[in-house]
Amino acid sequence: MSNYILKYGRDDRVKYISHLDFMRCFHRTVRRTDLQFIFSQGFNPHPVMTIAQPMSVGVTSECEFMKVGFEDGFKPREIVEILNKAFPPGFKAYSCFKLNAKEIDITKIDKALYVVETEYEGKADIEAFLSNKELTVPKKTKSGVRDSDIRPHIFDIKKISDENGVLTLEMLISVGSAYNLKPETVMDAMDKYCESFKHGFMNIHRKAMYGGNVERLKNIE
Amino acid sequence: MITTRDKILAGVTKPTRYTGGELNSVMKNPNRVDVRWGFCFADTYEIAMSHLGLKILYHTLNEREDTWCERVFTPWTDMEEQMKLHGMKLFALESGDEVTHFDILGFTLQYELAYSNIVHMLNLAEVPVLAKDRDESFPIICAGGPVAYNCEPIADIFDFVMLGEGEEMIHEVTDEYVKWKKSGKQNKKDYLETIARLDGIYVPSFYDICYNEDNTVKSITPNNPNAKSKIRKRIMKDFNAAKAPDSIIVPYGDVVHDRVMLEVMRGCLRGCRFCQAGYIYRPLRERKPDTLMNLAETLLECSGYDEISLSSLSTSDFSGLPDLTDGLLDITERKKIGLSLPSLRIDNFSLDLMEKVQKVRKTGITFAPEAGTQRMRDVINKNITEENILHSTNLLFRGGWSNVKLYFMIGLPFETLDDVKGIAELAHKVLDVYFAIPKEERAKNINITVSSSSFVPKPFTAFQWVGQNTREQLIHKQHIILDNIKTRRIKYNYHDNKTSYLEGVFARGDRRLCSVIIRAVEKGCKFDGWTDYFDFDKWMETFDELGIDPDFYSARERSYEEVLPWDHIDIGVTKQFFIRENERAKQAVTTPNCREKCAGCGIASFGTGVCFEKRGESNE
Repeated sequence: MSNYILKYGRDDRVKYISHLDFMRCFHRTVRRTDLQFIFSQGFNPHPVMTIAQPMSVGVTSECEFMKVGFEDGFKPREIVEILNKAFPPGFKAYSCFKLNAKEIDITKIDKALYVVETEYEGKADIEAFLSNKELTVPKKTKSGVRDSDIRPHIFDIKKISDENGVLTLEMLISVGSAYNLKPETVMDAMDKYCESFKHGFMNIHRKAMYGGNVERLKNIE
Repeated sequence: MITTRDKILAGVTKPTRYTGGELNSVMKNPNRVDVRWGFCFADTYEIAMSHLGLKILYHTLNEREDTWCERVFTPWTDMEEQMKLHGMKLFALESGDEVTHFDILGFTLQYELAYSNIVHMLNLAEVPVLAKDRDESFPIICAGGPVAYNCEPIADIFDFVMLGEGEEMIHEVTDEYVKWKKSGKQNKKDYLETIARLDGIYVPSFYDICYNEDNTVKSITPNNPNAKSKIRKRIMKDFNAAKAPDSIIVPYGDVVHDRVMLEVMRGCLRGCRFCQAGYIYRPLRERKPDTLMNLAETLLECSGYDEISLSSLSTSDFSGLPDLTDGLLDITERKKIGLSLPSLRIDNFSLDLMEKVQKVRKTGITFAPEAGTQRMRDVINKNITEENILHSTNLLFRGGWSNVKLYFMIGLPFETLDDVKGIAELAHKVLDVYFAIPKEERAKNINITVSSSSFVPKPFTAFQWVGQNTREQLIHKQHIILDNIKTRRIKYNYHDNKTSYLEGVFARGDRRLCSVIIRAVEKGCKFDGWTDYFDFDKWMETFDELGIDPDFYSARERSYEEVLPWDHIDIGVTKQFFIRENERAKQAVTTPNCREKCAGCGIASFGTGVCFEKRGESNE
């Protein structure tokens, strides 16, 4: 048996699936293949798998990571092919890495690149927004909603397009256990700090994640 | 790109109820099919997706190249609001298309309390509710399922109704639809006349109902030469060979029955006199263990489910059970799959089996004695004795089980207050069994839960003539049970009987109730099976407004001579048999099960099943 890091993603068709439902869906996907999970020991055995960053409902992604144990018998490339045959339409496995030691550590992922499409009113001056030394907004934490300065956790925001009242931004921000920033919170800060700007309905896509050497996983095409 | 769909789904609690696209759901090109079928279930996704009949018929229809069958369920109220906000009509899950101009919409009728949701769904689809108001541009609306045997209260809604098992029938009506559509869909009546000649097809508009002055039915008369005077149900004669789908949709969200369901048999041989399912699904027919093993492997492979359940009305009566469970246990152990065995009688065999199935955890076990005294169990022909129950619970307590649920009905015909008291007494006897076992040989912390539900007389049962207990009578009986439970180790669960009352009205209702249902929906009634939405006062107000007395349908005892609203439907079991059974009930005389001795119910005329088993061969 070995541990693997799996890179996968999901598109619009399956973006409303909750984290727990995805876990169950992945269990079933593996059960439909010749892959064999490694089960935890104990009273109620369950497959050994850890997901790096649970996805919020409604978010699409091309860069999710999980650590999962399988019985030996397949090469990483074969695991990708097997999963892609068995996934429900809308999920995709991109690559797989067989761990020998801790070459890749998905718990150390600390940055994510998002593409945010949003309807809006007013004017979005990104440069002026980023020139603020402090961006304090209410943020959900374990102990309730608290004001937090998110500025140190925004590394970059770029405007990609601005057409027909829909603004598309790319933002590089913190994720992970140390500080988890959501694109929605960044947009709330823009509402507060960009005069006259008000975002509307938005779509969020996770384009990349960084940290813990995950860039060693190259997509198989 | 931001779409309206995104905006709608962002505003609802469980979006995966509406997105479709689950594994094994079927996508087709709408331009390449002749028929767009909507399989409608008038409840939420979680309930609908637990229904085996849907799974069978969905895949059966989608095997046709000329047809695309999609699923259509009732949107929860948050979704309904979003739909209204965005001008969206009722839609099908697979394509997301509005169903307003689909070819056929078929509703499965599983329980009477879904009637309001059917009307509600048609409103959401902007399809005229009554068949007579729909021209050829609207879908043909049809129905099937167990409640279809007396769907008179909503019969005016349907163009046609399918009676009995649908696997073959549904193809026949679709074939005829294709022909009619290709000929230019001139006149809906032409189509209905053609299918009215098929076995099992009931076209409500082809029958005139006349009433007596006392509001009872005077006559049910065909008004069209193609309509039969009696419509006979359809069954799959060779059930073992009947095609079971080799694929099942795997939902993303939590649904009620989220597992492979293996239909081991149809029909039941017990003949409990209150049980509609026990009569309408007759005769009992079984699948062979080999057939089932293959099916189980296929379904587990295509779904990835980690649980499989046997589906039937009485699993212990399945003659192939030992072979099947041996085979299944082999698979389930190898693949770490859970096996659940509902509707088992407790005996040594089933206890051994349960030991094997659930190696560690011993969760609760449910018994359904149905009635508290032997006399009452004889009245309803529930062939289980007090000795059986006490013996089984003894085995259970010694085997490590400590949670026992006992399920009863109150308001049964010919019930005395002593019979009601007997419910509490039986629970105490079970408790005594526990305490009689030496401490070190029994499980700890005994828990007995007694539940009672209120009996609802149903058509096509031995009790189809009896008056339903009034709500006051039922409340009185609940109190008797409560007062006679003397220990905290026995918990009593009972619930309000307003839903049972309404169910009772619809179950034996006639066509005059249709206006009540439509009016109640106008006033906001929907999701009557959900406590949050059930509004009893609104229903009573509507009966009042339209001058219809609901007690006429529920509380009134009928005579054998009265024409019943469902007398034109033939389920194969004869009215003479039901009269005989009702008379035996009055005498508290039991009737043996089909394998012990044929009771001559009439179902042998279908020429198959348990009626033709060699006696003694299938037993044990």
